[in-house]
Amino acid sequence: MSVITNIADSIVAELNAASLSHPLTAVRKFVPSFTLTEMKDLHVTVVPKAIQVTKADRTRNTFDAQIDIAIQKKFETGDLAEIDPLLDLVEEVADFFRLRRLDSYPAAHWMKTEHSPIYSQEHWDEMRQFTSVLTLTFRVVR
Amino acid sequence: MSDVLEAGSNWLQQQRKQHASRNVIYRRSSKFVEVLATVGRTQFEQDDGTGAIIRTEVRDYLIDTDDLLLGGNKAIPGRGDRIEEVDGDQRFIYEVVPIGSEPHWRYSDPYRKTYRIHTKHIDTEAI
Repeated sequence: MSVITNIADSIVAELNAASLSHPLTAVRKFVPSFTLTEMKDLHVTVVPKAIQVTKADRTRNTFDAQIDIAIQKKFETGDLAEIDPLLDLVEEVADFFRLRRLDSYPAAHWMKTEHSPIYSQEHWDEMRQFTSVLTLTFRVVR
Repeated sequence: MSDVLEAGSNWLQQQRKQHASRNVIYRRSSKFVEVLATVGRTQFEQDDGTGAIIRTEVRDYLIDTDDLLLGGNKAIPGRGDRIEEVDGDQRFIYEVVPIGSEPHWRYSDPYRKTYRIHTKHIDTEAI
């Protein structure tokens, strides 16, 4: 299996085993595709995004794999009481992986987390849906 | 002097309501009203702006401005309001939202007699 799918699968396994404020079931997909009617339930989708290979030393390379974690839920009112806990969950997920070496793929260690924008204004406006995407970078040297 | 175009438009709106409409429930939180609505444009839309694709049915409803009474008062459509349409043993629920660059509603005629309300399908319930 490729480095990036190994990393994505390990992220899924660790998210599903984690004890977070919201119960969640993460799944890996190449293309997260849903209908709006499905989105009343929380969806957490792990998507392999990109990989960059650079020279590490004379015999090894550095593989920096970017993985997106999309956290999505259609909201009822969009008020602070409904959205703040979702953003808390996104931060919990980000914190969960920060400085982490993946248990089921220990060759990969965390390098960076990007979270911009913190939610999709387009999904908010046109679907009344919270969509927040974290991009994690994990490094493997081999 | 009467506006012949306005009279003609009003007559057409009456015909639309009498012959091309169905009963729907228009709901805002606990307030609701049963109104006659004409189903306008219906199409499927796919949004992949963030890389996460969301597919949905987009549907417009035409409702007389005088009929949209919530809590006994005339109302204008609001984002997040819901329109419920019963078909057989299923209730289809649509939510009022803007579509692309258009706001969530506009007048359907120049004389402000009819709302054209944009919605997206968000749920189907068995009844």
